[in-house]
Amino acid sequence: MRIVVAMRQLADLVEELEVDDSGTDIDREFVKFVSNEWDEAALEEALLIKEQSGAEIVAVALDEPDVDQTLYTAIAKGADKAVKLTGLEEGWVSTHSRAKAIASWLGDQQWDLLLTGVQAADDLDGQLAGILAAQLQVPHAAVVVSAQTEGSSVKVSQELGGGTIVEETIALPAVLGIQTARQAPRYAPITRIRQAMQSGGLEEASVAGDLAEGRPTVRRLYPPEKTGHAEMLTGSASDVADKIIELLRAKGLVKS
Amino acid sequence: MIFDPTLAVVETRKVFAGEGPGTRAIFYLLSLATLVTFFAGVGLRLRKYYAGRPAAEGRFWRPSRKGEVQDVTTKPGLGAGLMKVATNKTVRRDKPSVGLAHLAVFWGFIGLFLATSILSLDYDIVRNFSRFFLGREYSFYHGPFYLAYNAVFNLAGVAAILGTAHLMGRRAAHKEPQLDYTRAFKPEAGYSRRQFRQGDWLFLWGLMTLFITGFLIQGLRIDEAHFPTFERWTWMGYLVGLAWHGVGVSAGLAAHIHPWIWWFHVLLALGFVAYIPFSKAMHMVTSPANLIVNDPANTRRLPQVPNGHSGYTELADFTPKERLAFDACTKCGRCHQVCPARTAGAPLSPRDLILDLRQWVDRQNHIPALLDREDRPDQSGPLAGETTLAGSVIASRTLWSCTTCMACVEVCPVGIEHVPTIVQMRRSLVDAGDMDPTLQSALQNIAQQGNSFGKSARMRARWTKGLDFTIPDARKEPVEFLWFVGDYASFDDRLQNLSRSVAKILHQAGVSFGILYDGERNAGNDVRRAGEEGLYEMLVEHNMAALSSANFESIFTTDPHSYNTLRNEYPAYGLEKPVRHYSELLTDLVLSGRIPVKALNKTVTYHDPCYLARYNRVMDAPRALIEALGCQLVEMPRNRTGSFCCGAGGGRIWMDDSFLEERPSENRMKEAVALGVDVFTVACPKDFAMFSDAVKTVGQEGKMVVTDIIQLLEEAFDTDRAMAMSVAQPQADGADANPGEGVSSEQGPQ
Repeated sequence: MRIVVAMRQLADLVEELEVDDSGTDIDREFVKFVSNEWDEAALEEALLIKEQSGAEIVAVALDEPDVDQTLYTAIAKGADKAVKLTGLEEGWVSTHSRAKAIASWLGDQQWDLLLTGVQAADDLDGQLAGILAAQLQVPHAAVVVSAQTEGSSVKVSQELGGGTIVEETIALPAVLGIQTARQAPRYAPITRIRQAMQSGGLEEASVAGDLAEGRPTVRRLYPPEKTGHAEMLTGSASDVADKIIELLRAKGLVKS
Repeated sequence: MIFDPTLAVVETRKVFAGEGPGTRAIFYLLSLATLVTFFAGVGLRLRKYYAGRPAAEGRFWRPSRKGEVQDVTTKPGLGAGLMKVATNKTVRRDKPSVGLAHLAVFWGFIGLFLATSILSLDYDIVRNFSRFFLGREYSFYHGPFYLAYNAVFNLAGVAAILGTAHLMGRRAAHKEPQLDYTRAFKPEAGYSRRQFRQGDWLFLWGLMTLFITGFLIQGLRIDEAHFPTFERWTWMGYLVGLAWHGVGVSAGLAAHIHPWIWWFHVLLALGFVAYIPFSKAMHMVTSPANLIVNDPANTRRLPQVPNGHSGYTELADFTPKERLAFDACTKCGRCHQVCPARTAGAPLSPRDLILDLRQWVDRQNHIPALLDREDRPDQSGPLAGETTLAGSVIASRTLWSCTTCMACVEVCPVGIEHVPTIVQMRRSLVDAGDMDPTLQSALQNIAQQGNSFGKSARMRARWTKGLDFTIPDARKEPVEFLWFVGDYASFDDRLQNLSRSVAKILHQAGVSFGILYDGERNAGNDVRRAGEEGLYEMLVEHNMAALSSANFESIFTTDPHSYNTLRNEYPAYGLEKPVRHYSELLTDLVLSGRIPVKALNKTVTYHDPCYLARYNRVMDAPRALIEALGCQLVEMPRNRTGSFCCGAGGGRIWMDDSFLEERPSENRMKEAVALGVDVFTVACPKDFAMFSDAVKTVGQEGKMVVTDIIQLLEEAFDTDRAMAMSVAQPQADGADANPGEGVSSEQGPQ
């Protein structure tokens, strides 16, 4: 069983993000980049599978700022291998390009299960897992809260709306978008991360090629603009109720 | 002198007067068996110590560590150790009557041991050797020596009896919590410590019976000899003899009873010696040894991680010094009494921890014990076999309960250093990821951004935005004082005001000071004590890089925790500058008149931070400051080195404390409330946060005010005089202001 965990770097949201001079991207120069928290859950789920039934785990990520830290942390936690995909131009990578890069690397790899975070701060629609599955032409499940391998298939629990949980079995190879792992992501002691860094072992693979195809063009990036303000209704309860009804009528939301 | 029993009056007595050759032979055989048992037991223990992991800590001969650690307490060493042992200083501390009773038993026992040894020297060695080699029997056991011997050692016997009686009475009558062996951590399947109690009483009664029968025999002997006048020197024995006579025991009857009691005494004495290495009595040997190898630097500067391990995981990790410390414990329970975790209802008692480790280590080494073991229906905790140390022998909850306040180390009469051992075990818990989720996220935040708040490292100095002047960046311009601000003072909303106050006062006083801005990271004191050694080293490397890029003469901190690691641990990583606490700096500035103040006329109490008072002995400076501000200080019962922890240390501030019955900070607040004062002064940002909460949770909000020393100083600040001084300042500067004062005036008020 070979499990690939696709991870990505994001600007740490505790930083004060600013739009750069081009006006189409955030200013990346002084911003600390951290691992996407859902990817950390995906890695944890992979580690649980490894502990339960044995597996080889490969963490893979694009060459984004501070990515070495994330990959070595994955090794410190128990990943067997970590691969950094190089050859991309700097700056924001669209989910399509990201999927294409990972899929092209996976093309000549042998793998059984691909786990990645169900979403990321710059991919709130959670498209990466789906696009990857489409490109690799394998089954896909999103919002997965538990994955356990059984022979050549994987049993997953998916969280649907309204608290509904669906359990199903998917044939391998498959791509899963992980919502949460069965337990909170484990702690990686700094000593272990440093040991991993000292022994090196981070593999690099070039994914050069036209990844920009189908990529949207960013015309303008800007913080939300003020578009109005809240109006506070004051007075007695019945006065406020009258005003609300008036407003609803004026907007045409209620008849007569 | 020649021993000649035929002379008419010789002040002496016959040794083995009533015993024939057979009896003597049995006596010597039994003595031999006793010594073999004793030394076999001691040998087992020595083997256990020597099997320990060699480590720098606890080396008997310590090289001088000049400049490495600024020791703040008694310098360790053989001389100081022996003094502590001889005076029972550590036993008498805080408990004078118990200490005095122990001192009496201690010297009484030594006296009686000497008495027996001297007699044996005379009878078994001098006499036999002289007869064998010189053909004539010599002895010194007569005449004035004999009289003095009896007078002095009678005193020793009486002291031992009185002391033992006091200790027995206390154990029987007083219900102090530490005399009760109830565990702080309750094993699921239950436990019994009946053996501990039985062992204590066996020890006490054994000693008492030994002392009393000794005098009974002496009395019988004097009765038998028809009370020779010179035996009045044997004053207690003489009195006992008179008592025998008084109850109708004639000389003849005395000769009849004598052998029976003699045999009882001899068997008891031999039995006692054989019992020593397997029981509580072993502390007579191990505790003094431990006091001698004790080193106050060990807790202030934590030991290294054992080679090849991330922390303590197995038996082999314990050093000889730690193994000796486990054996040194007398179960006195002083640590149990003062421990904030135990007081708060957490599953940690330093005594339980040491006893559990001792029993576990002894079991692994197959060392038998007599009435010195805990019983459990399951084989858990100290009864466990070869298993994970941290998390199995000692529960992880127990290890995580420690605030590293060092009260246990401070109060331990036999010099046990609990905290370094706890941290070593925490290190392996961190390695296994066995920790509170909130601690995990704090450590992750510190790893990512260098602060536990998870805020951007670049925002560290944002609190300075509210100032109407700019604090120099010590990396860019030379300053006299480098202020190591710390996480809480930099990021906590409640504490940023206090930081601004410190900055304003120093600025107004014309002190040259700067900060490291975003170059500063968490100093790592509590990270290290939480057991994350790798992260600690990373923080030290980062801070050392920032410090070496800065130009300054000395460091001061607001946080006593940062103070401790910078002062005691950073030197090992190359820091050579002196480190002070802001309470010391402010006191200097006020007392030298640099900061003009008006009297406040308040009545306040003061909470000694553990890392300031106990760890680093800074106790007078904050008090001098409070006094200089015209405040009357009312001391809390637990003050100075006996201060009671707020509960935040050792990484506890990052962990859940909702399971506690009563938070240590609440316990402390109630102590202050009982004094009738309404100002609770602190000198630590974490204390300000902890006690501001506690004052609410104990329902004293509005009645008790928690105030930092800087707030007191700000209130007392004399603006008019400061204005006058600032006008006068430029001339003083021109005339080269007072370099001897130690405070530069380059940054005079603008």
